[in-house]
Amino acid sequence: MPIASWTEKIVDWMTANWAGFFDAIQHGGQGTMDLANAMLGAVPPLMMIVIMTIFAVLVSHKKWGFPLFVFLGLLLVWNQGLWADLVQTTTLVILSSLLAIVIGIPLGIWMAKSDNVAKVLQPLLDFMQTMPGFVYLIPAVAFFGIGAVPGVFASLIFSLPPTVRFTNLGIRQVPVEMEEAADSFGSTPKQKLFKVELPLAKSTIMAGVNQTIMLALSMVVLASMVGAPGLGQGILSAVQHAAVGAGFVNGIALVILAITIDRFTQRLNVDAVEAQQQKSKWRKWVGWLTALVLAGSMVGGLFAQQAAAKKSVSLVYVQWDSEIASTNVLAQAFKEKGYQVKMTPLDNAVMWQTVANGQADGSVSAWLPNTHQAQYKKYHKNLDMLGANMRGAKVGLVVPDYMNVDSIADLQSQADKTITGIEPGAGVMAAADKALKAYPNLSDWKLQGSSTGSMAVALDKAIKSHDDIVVTGWSPHWMWKKYQLKYLADPKNTMGQAETINTMARKGLKADKPEVYRALDNFHWQKGDMESVMLDIQNGMSPEKAAQKWVDAHPKQVNAWFEK
Amino acid sequence: MAKVKIEHLTKIFGKRVKPALDLVEKHVSKTDILEQTGATVGVYDANLEVQEGEIFVIMGLSGSGKSTLIRLLNRLIEPTSGSIYLDGDDISKMNKEELLDVRRKKMSMVFQGFGLFPQRTVLENTEYGLEVQGMPKEERTKLAEQALENANLLPFKDQFPSQLSGGMQQRVGLARALANNPEILLMDEAFSALDPLIRREMQDELIELQAKQKKTIIFISHDLNEALRIGDRIAIMKDGEVVQIGTGEDILTNPANDYVRAFTENVDRSKVLTAERIMEQPVTANIDVDGPNVALKKMVTEEVGGLVAVNRSREVQGFLSGEAALKARKEGLALKDVLVDMPTIQKDMLVSDIVPIIYDAHTPLGVVNDEGRLVGIVIRGRVLEALADKELDNQETEVK
Repeated sequence: MPIASWTEKIVDWMTANWAGFFDAIQHGGQGTMDLANAMLGAVPPLMMIVIMTIFAVLVSHKKWGFPLFVFLGLLLVWNQGLWADLVQTTTLVILSSLLAIVIGIPLGIWMAKSDNVAKVLQPLLDFMQTMPGFVYLIPAVAFFGIGAVPGVFASLIFSLPPTVRFTNLGIRQVPVEMEEAADSFGSTPKQKLFKVELPLAKSTIMAGVNQTIMLALSMVVLASMVGAPGLGQGILSAVQHAAVGAGFVNGIALVILAITIDRFTQRLNVDAVEAQQQKSKWRKWVGWLTALVLAGSMVGGLFAQQAAAKKSVSLVYVQWDSEIASTNVLAQAFKEKGYQVKMTPLDNAVMWQTVANGQADGSVSAWLPNTHQAQYKKYHKNLDMLGANMRGAKVGLVVPDYMNVDSIADLQSQADKTITGIEPGAGVMAAADKALKAYPNLSDWKLQGSSTGSMAVALDKAIKSHDDIVVTGWSPHWMWKKYQLKYLADPKNTMGQAETINTMARKGLKADKPEVYRALDNFHWQKGDMESVMLDIQNGMSPEKAAQKWVDAHPKQVNAWFEK
Repeated sequence: MAKVKIEHLTKIFGKRVKPALDLVEKHVSKTDILEQTGATVGVYDANLEVQEGEIFVIMGLSGSGKSTLIRLLNRLIEPTSGSIYLDGDDISKMNKEELLDVRRKKMSMVFQGFGLFPQRTVLENTEYGLEVQGMPKEERTKLAEQALENANLLPFKDQFPSQLSGGMQQRVGLARALANNPEILLMDEAFSALDPLIRREMQDELIELQAKQKKTIIFISHDLNEALRIGDRIAIMKDGEVVQIGTGEDILTNPANDYVRAFTENVDRSKVLTAERIMEQPVTANIDVDGPNVALKKMVTEEVGGLVAVNRSREVQGFLSGEAALKARKEGLALKDVLVDMPTIQKDMLVSDIVPIIYDAHTPLGVVNDEGRLVGIVIRGRVLEALADKELDNQETEVK
């Protein structure tokens, strides 16, 4: 059964026919997210931390553990320089959760009121919850492109079920006698729902909402693969670079956020008797006052930001060390010229798709003719290819130079017959796959996908213990400076000759933003330039700083990019 | 004209209702219907009339269909067939709006588990019925406060149900039902969840309320004593059928069949009732420590005319009358010098055996357990009560 092709057809049909609808959602959603981000981001971090601590004091009665945790935890996040990411993640989670509540509670009510609806929804909810979140990202990108919106969409599908289930459960668990009492006094169904059922089911529903929020948080990392901003991107890039420290710091920030949100929602869920006992005037006053200050500073910050709106450019890239270097350098150059730059790291295939759909201005990460051949074939008609920005790049199978093989044809049973690869969607992986098929001596070898970072770690480990290893490598890359490596000869040319890294722009950029188009068109540099930036990053400098350092050192070259 | 009239009311639960209904019309028994169709008959061809202003009690064991019947009256359960006339209008034929109106204005219900909304205060609970009618806040609060005032609950109006005792909660339930000023009160085993003392209090309150407000009350109960205490007329149900309707006297003197006879506990009670069943809590004085002043104080506060004198290990020493205690105080005597003897009996002694003892005794009888410790006292009145039932039973052949 060609289920895969049916699915593709359906998604293609939807993408084509409902484009207007999806675009409206994409724009509306992105606008909402940007607004929320701007508002939350406008509040100075320290003020926000104090406000959140005050709220924590208000909801936890004479217990100091939670407010202290909020205060210190948020302070730590700020100290680690992750405040902006935290804000973006928070808006993402809040938006997904709000949507889940708005959609989920009515669905849950409908489910509780009708056994037939319950019969249909139950398996659907099981399906939604057990299908890996990754799967939702694919149509999400097709429908909404990249950014926060597909992230919210995927989070929503994944995190909706608990709210629906618990609402259904809460309403069905309302004691029969309560229902009868409500009916016996002549309540209409609506009165019964709002006056009896929902208030009685409230705590169960809140437990479901709490679950939903937690699931939305767990989807944040996944959503980063399609460009959702925030802490997830830090975690994802840490995974791809096997950067334990960065991964831990980002993870801790996410944990702090999760615990904070969880405790807040739990504390807001008190029963009527408790609520009455907790009523006190000063709490109300302080609460309203704090909320007012918060709203005021948000709006104020918003106006300030509005005034400072600038020319903008959006770049997409893959989280390879080479592309991190080049995209950051270009971004710094744009910033110097007064642009607002949006950089989104994506999976390779998604990156191509994004530029082709016109959802990003361009990318300087297209490896041609071989590495990205598949993507080029699929999308080049909808792209504006601006030519090479760096020559002499190469991909191939790479081994440490102490191994006594020189050609792919020499490989027999070294390294457990395994080629250690990178992300499954990467171009070099497709090339390696071709090589496996073309060389008869590789017929029983396997290509092990992982991530760029894991591959580097595996290589490091193998070299330290002097083991055999074959990796999918490319240059420029810092590993050539760090270790003694060699490419394996490729007599059948499956892995491509020397390659170029190319710049691509979306169709129509030339008309919309001629300056940006020109800069992209002019952007080029040397392999040595790139490797120096890469090495700085590898030695612990942040990508922005390393890029800034290079830009500062080469003003002439940078200015040349922006000249006519 | 009867206030409420039920004709051929039937309720069948389950899937194959139609064939089961045909069988009901042919008067096939409930068990056979269940075997043949798999459908359960909840109420089987019930017919009765309730007059305006009477307390009509529907009795039966659990599973007899009495709770289903009361829910058919306000259509919390939809009847399968038959009619329910309220002031001559057929409720079973009403559309939604008319039914809502009947529920809001004419009938209110009180529940066994009180049915109070835990997230609403006492006042908010009481005004619920008025709230759903869309009455303005001030007006409904006034009415609800009046209803609470009548139930002596006004000081608790801002409390939540979980903060009140069972008896208070049920008074709130009653006040809520009365706040609507309905013509008919439906009470579904309203006092079954309360302890016996509170229960009697509530029954008295209900009788008083009835005397003042002249409501028509349809009361469900499985307790014969309760039915006899409050009911003007009683209907007894069995397996969904109404087997007898009449006054308490009718039912006790002319039971329609063996079931009713058994139900009204047609056994020689004096042969089964033990001292333990009819004894009361004793008020005691410990003669090792208490003096006449303490004894007198106890008599005043407990409203009794005499005390059981015990020692430290609660063994009966004798009976102390009020006069004896006064005498002891005047003459400066110790309590043990003024006691009179008090006969004691074992707690499992039968009423029929107690009669000759109490006949000769000048004091109540002390009831002791196997270790000889005092657990209660038996007074003359209770023995007579038990015997009165026996007299009534003696007209019948013994069942057991």
